[in-house]
Amino acid sequence: MEQYLPVLTLGVLGVLFVLLSIVASRLLAPERATVAKRSAYECGVTEQVAIPERFPVKFYLVAMLFIMFDIEIVFLYPWAVANDELGLFGLVAMTIFAGIFFLSFVYELAKGGLNWGPGRQLITPATSPERTTTSTIRKVGLEGRIEIETAADDSEAA
Amino acid sequence: MTGDPLFIDGVDLVDIGIMAAKVLVAFTFLLVATMFMVWFERKLISDMQNRIGPNVAGPWGLLQTFADGVKFFFKEDLRPENADPLVFRLAPYIAAVTAFLSFAVVPIGGSFGSGSSGTVTIFGRETYLQVADPPIGILLLLAMSSIAVYGVMLAGWASGSKYPLIGSVRASAQAISYEAALGMATVVVVILAGTLSTHGIVAAQAGGITRWFVLSSGVVPFIVFLIAATAELNRPPFDLVEAEQELVGGFHTEYSSIRFALFFLAEFMNVITMSAIMVTLFFGGPAGPILFGMTWFWPTVWFLLKVLAFLFVFVWFRATLPRLRYDQLMHLGWKLLIPLILFWLMFISLKELRAANDWNWIATYGAAFIALAIGTALLLAGLRAGDRAFQDELEEA
Repeated sequence: MEQYLPVLTLGVLGVLFVLLSIVASRLLAPERATVAKRSAYECGVTEQVAIPERFPVKFYLVAMLFIMFDIEIVFLYPWAVANDELGLFGLVAMTIFAGIFFLSFVYELAKGGLNWGPGRQLITPATSPERTTTSTIRKVGLEGRIEIETAADDSEAA
Repeated sequence: MTGDPLFIDGVDLVDIGIMAAKVLVAFTFLLVATMFMVWFERKLISDMQNRIGPNVAGPWGLLQTFADGVKFFFKEDLRPENADPLVFRLAPYIAAVTAFLSFAVVPIGGSFGSGSSGTVTIFGRETYLQVADPPIGILLLLAMSSIAVYGVMLAGWASGSKYPLIGSVRASAQAISYEAALGMATVVVVILAGTLSTHGIVAAQAGGITRWFVLSSGVVPFIVFLIAATAELNRPPFDLVEAEQELVGGFHTEYSSIRFALFFLAEFMNVITMSAIMVTLFFGGPAGPILFGMTWFWPTVWFLLKVLAFLFVFVWFRATLPRLRYDQLMHLGWKLLIPLILFWLMFISLKELRAANDWNWIATYGAAFIALAIGTALLLAGLRAGDRAFQDELEEA
């Protein structure tokens, strides 16, 4: 266990560093909190709605799948260290193990559990083929424009 | 028996002194390196974007980060009313302490190979040039990167505000998705090295560039590790956690003053640690030619140069690549990296066993190819069925 002594020391040093920084900041920084400062950030709008405590259930799916893979990795490490000694037996056993995990992974894929993306376009386009630039843009007479431009030039000169 | 020879035959006062010195040096090095890294990133990014960057505080703006850090101390420390007081205060500790601890197992020097086992002698005691060498060094690294997720998750949850909550949920989903790939890429290295100790992994790569695991593992694990590490660090192009356009500041929106500075510090410290880990796992750690004199000096120089190269790569990514969309991020992690590295690690194990037991070349690789074909077919079928199922769900809704 002596090998962990430096890790522990570094950890204690890290905690002390954070603690001292926060204490120093408390001593040095001003404390002039107002209601606006103490409210949750809302892009400049006064907060109106309660904070959402819920988030999409998809994140739970990812978490569960991760636990599965993490378990696999935990079992992979001891095997990886002893790969040479275990030989063919270890490899076959691990292939079966990883294969079963892979199958459940493919099952989740096939159920669409890992699809986040936008689906294919479902709504038919709002524009009809008859609506083109020639049918929608009203052409303004050329003479009118020239008149306006000259009028603007005159005012500038004046 | 693995482990630092310093502690093998009991622990006395001299041992404790050497250990304390090593811990202090590592601690100071990390803080100074983090300061330097922030400056390096800002200066390099500005060079790549045709700007000047920080140039006022100190020569070439070197003291800019220090000035920023001092300023943080004098800023008001705000906590939203809805925030959970205890957890809100706890989160910066988790983030910063895990960042410090992960560096403990990285070997930063020592000459390996041809008779020498990477020890240096200080005050008549042999020791390794790394803070600690527990027999399960790699697992300690993975544990620390897993606990670091709690810092982000708790910070976002405890803020009692919507942007941090969404940011932290995203961050944890991203971190755990890529941690699977990261862990499996590390397993490949463990197969090749046959040990979990970081010192052992570096020792196994001693003896020339061809023995570095980046080549002997076939480059793929390294690329997977690099991508997963970038995502794990929430660096661009995977910085959805802090996507300013959608989430303001992400999980640390509500943090101000020194608490924010601690998150910031932890983030950059993790970048340095992750670069150092990549050098350790794939690029022979401190391996390199010893040019003249001082055998203990050159390995550390090589190590620092290699780490610097990776720091450059991370900044380069940030300047070059646009941010991924959330679904693209999840697809890359789950549907490409994980199946790829799962196959690759079985393949490397097979390759190692074939070399050791002299199996038939055609039979071995034929079996691997058949396994790859079946796996790919299953995966593609699964992906297609998944897209269909997702589409049906959308059309029903």
